[in-house]
Amino acid sequence: MKLTKRSQIRDAHTLAGAYAMDAVSAPDRERFERHLAGCEECAQEIASLRETTAMLGTAAAEPVSAGLKERIMAAAAVTRQQPPADETEPVLLAHGTWARAGIWFRSLAWPSRLTLVTAGAAAAAVLAVAVVFGIANSSMQQQIDQAQASSQQIAVVLTAQDARMTTGTVAGGGTATIVMSGSRHALVFTAQGLHALPGSRGYELWLIGPAGTRPVGMLPAGSHGMTGPVIASGLRPGDHLALTAESANGSAHPDTPMMLDVAL
Amino acid sequence: MTAAGSQEPRNRARPAPAARAGTDLAGLIALVARGEATAFDAVFEQIGPSVFGVVRRVIRDPAQSEEVTQEVMLEVWRSASKFDAGRGSATAWVMTLAHRRAVDRVRSVQKEAERERRVAVAEIPFDQVIEAVESGLERERVRRCLGSLTEVQRESVTLAYYRGYTYGQVASLLGVPTGTVKTRMRDALIRMRDCLGVPE
Repeated sequence: MKLTKRSQIRDAHTLAGAYAMDAVSAPDRERFERHLAGCEECAQEIASLRETTAMLGTAAAEPVSAGLKERIMAAAAVTRQQPPADETEPVLLAHGTWARAGIWFRSLAWPSRLTLVTAGAAAAAVLAVAVVFGIANSSMQQQIDQAQASSQQIAVVLTAQDARMTTGTVAGGGTATIVMSGSRHALVFTAQGLHALPGSRGYELWLIGPAGTRPVGMLPAGSHGMTGPVIASGLRPGDHLALTAESANGSAHPDTPMMLDVAL
Repeated sequence: MTAAGSQEPRNRARPAPAARAGTDLAGLIALVARGEATAFDAVFEQIGPSVFGVVRRVIRDPAQSEEVTQEVMLEVWRSASKFDAGRGSATAWVMTLAHRRAVDRVRSVQKEAERERRVAVAEIPFDQVIEAVESGLERERVRRCLGSLTEVQRESVTLAYYRGYTYGQVASLLGVPTGTVKTRMRDALIRMRDCLGVPE
């Protein structure tokens, strides 16, 4: 037992260099960070290696264009900052924070085309979710990691320079809002006012096009009339986004009539 | 620091608190956490070129590199209150955000282009990376310290840090076992750390 632990620690130590250079796969990164949380010695080593890689980075400095700086300053001016940590604040459930992200997202649903600046602000709002997650307890960690990963993916779509928005009416009730980015091959889907389905059924999202019919996934249960945001990646030219009501476990092919069909 | 660093911000309504002499990056970030836009301007002047430089090394494409630089700098603006000076320097905090963000961007599009990239990278002489690291006292030190590494160590560091490869990808490029690459990477960084005089 002791030996196993020791060899695990040695293994983790070996990964320190690769980790400090972000040269690890996502599962490796996750495993190492779990180890890091309980290993003060490792955390110290990583800190000193990060100082070292930072110097590798600053040695690569290049002049930036005045336009980039202006865009960044303009985006910051409309981006809400995260508050400092407040340990007296209660932990919000992932569920509640998604609802909050949804509200922010809905507030976007007015212009027919998102400008980079408003998209940046929206992404900030979506990412603010991650702060709340940051104070959650460790038993929620996996759920949180997933949520953070998708909120980051969502932000990437919303901040894409080619982000554009479409809305569609769902047969049977509700409105879908879709922000898609061709350059990211991804879209963000939310819906409002979807008709509640019986427990045995669920809404399933699909990508349908020349590349075939691919299930995106089941929509999570709505909260306060909002569903999502949900990210769909791997968009191909000519794809449509479709919504059907399938059995709650999901289906490999759409077996029921399309309730929404949006050309992307 | 660079041409961008000496540029006067436009429409400045009042003198920047950040302009006070001797305000270092950590101090500026503390001001940014309080919402000081002028301090953020100064932060950008100090670290923006480094962020852009490292992002461009990894991503290569200038337009995408600008996008990622914007994401990184907005993250600095947004989460300035999360910076903890007890856990490392402000430069390391920002550069860690920048490098990770660049690597994540590259990996998200890597699958489709992996084969071409492998060929392309194999054709880039490793020395070129070091050659490109030029002028400036710190650059000179980094260059000298990179030069003090063994060849496998140096290749592992440049492929991982400047190209954004995982240790598994570096292992297959160099034709050595993954365990060896992991060890070389750690040894190399420890050697770089000592050579650059970073406290342990």
